[in-house]
Amino acid sequence: MGKIVGKKTEFGVEIGMEETEKEIQENTTSPKRPIWIGSITIGLVNIPVKLHTMVYDKSIAFRFLHKKDGQPLKYQRVCIKDNKVVPWEDTVRGYEIRKGEFIILNKEELDAARPESDQRIRIDKFIDYLSVDPVYFERSYILTPNKSEEAYRLLMTAIEKMGKAGVGRITLRIKEYPVILHVYKGALVLTTLRYAYEMVDPSTLKELGGLKEPSKGEVDLAMKIIKDLSGEFDINNYQDGYKEKIEKLIEKKMKGEKIIAERPVKEEAKELMVALQETLKQLKKQ
Amino acid sequence: MPKRLTKVEFTNLDKILFPELGVTKSQVIEYYIRIATKMLSILADRGISLKRFPDGIDKNGFYEKDAPLGTPSWVKTFKKYSETAKHDVNYIVCNNLDTLLWTANLAALEIHMPLSRINSYENPDLVLFDIDPEPPANIDNAVETALLLKEKLNDLGLLPYIKTSGKKGLHVVIPVIEGYSFAQTREFAHQIGKQLTKESETIVSELPRSRDPGTVFIDYLQNSHGRTMICPYSLRGQPRATVSTPLRWIEVKKGLRPEEFNIYSVPKIHESPWERLLEKRQNLGLR
Repeated sequence: MGKIVGKKTEFGVEIGMEETEKEIQENTTSPKRPIWIGSITIGLVNIPVKLHTMVYDKSIAFRFLHKKDGQPLKYQRVCIKDNKVVPWEDTVRGYEIRKGEFIILNKEELDAARPESDQRIRIDKFIDYLSVDPVYFERSYILTPNKSEEAYRLLMTAIEKMGKAGVGRITLRIKEYPVILHVYKGALVLTTLRYAYEMVDPSTLKELGGLKEPSKGEVDLAMKIIKDLSGEFDINNYQDGYKEKIEKLIEKKMKGEKIIAERPVKEEAKELMVALQETLKQLKKQ
Repeated sequence: MPKRLTKVEFTNLDKILFPELGVTKSQVIEYYIRIATKMLSILADRGISLKRFPDGIDKNGFYEKDAPLGTPSWVKTFKKYSETAKHDVNYIVCNNLDTLLWTANLAALEIHMPLSRINSYENPDLVLFDIDPEPPANIDNAVETALLLKEKLNDLGLLPYIKTSGKKGLHVVIPVIEGYSFAQTREFAHQIGKQLTKESETIVSELPRSRDPGTVFIDYLQNSHGRTMICPYSLRGQPRATVSTPLRWIEVKKGLRPEEFNIYSVPKIHESPWERLLEKRQNLGLR
């Protein structure tokens, strides 16, 4: 990440367009502090709410160091013509129309095109919650009431009872998102959605054309297997093995233990290892 | 993390190599793990050839004599001019479990070995009689021939060994003392074959007649520099995942069903009829 400069906003830090959603999350240290304050608007009804971060990216992050002396490296913007470092104030934004050919868009022009954040979550309609495919889900936020407990509770109870969710829009920073407003563990949760134009339609993949219809027997068998494996969803059954291993490795290194790099045995190869152990024993005897 | 048991990094373990039986590469590797103790002593110190079936036996397999690109440095190789390939060949030498598992991971279902070892490449340590029935002759005719051959060799004071080819034939082998040339062992096998033609109408000893319907050819021609035999306990690229299986002579009788010796059944066999084969090297009594 580049060094982040800029003014603080309710989102954390603003540096302009290159700031990504991820950076917003990283700079928001506690869910206690809202990242946005506004209201849910349904027709003429307003429910003031605060928006809190729900998803933190906790994957392991590394920094690049200079191999020779272990010093952290920083990124700089370097002009490709004279290889000189260019300070932020001397930069403008360009859109590449053809390879190496740019149209310059200045700050005023870009600002004029920005969607106005009117601090509203505009709900257009209510739909069956389960009718939205998860492929559209992008990022979730928790909404809390802002001196609006009664109305908040009422809305939550009603949509939960009906199995519905609200669909609408929000402008977060400089982008307008489609959103779905739903209930999760006693809270109203806002999940931003992807636009249709961002998605690949599976029917455009030729590999999926002309898949053969399976026979009834095969389908019955497959359904039996699925039935046998059916259960309740529990996300706690899944762990990030890579993260755990790296954390252990870091722990060991901190204690000054010597690390011998070992590639892991693939899960599927593990059953072979039992046979291998037996054979190695026999070979030793020979 | 457990200590690594093998240098080999297995890949595509779920790939199906024998579609009819649904046998995966994982099962093939497990087979070679379980059979390794019986196989390695015979396989050792030979420049082997592989027949690989990377996409399973329903797709064309290919023979590979040269160690392929990407052969790890710990795999021993042996360089030798090949008469058939007309260039130097870097043969793989399979002296340990890791190498065997590496070839298995290459989907080398079949391992073929020459009848001599690398330290005396021109001098065979095995003589091979390849008994090959031509339909409508069948395995029963091959058994009959093998038993006649055994009797003949016993009369000469020799103790031959036998295995199924994993296809339709049988292989009779005599381990021999150091010093014979291939020309000598070839001639020996040929002469024995000729003598046997007098004892049975179905037996033929000459290549041109080997495809005559209903005959059993005693093929002596494999006793040559650079020629190979399917290794004992090697799988075959056959639909039923058969194995070239060493047998006790007592098992060699009418009704023998070579197709019953396959990837599932062979690891369960306790005896190892070819055990210490190379410690029983025999004098052919040639001058």
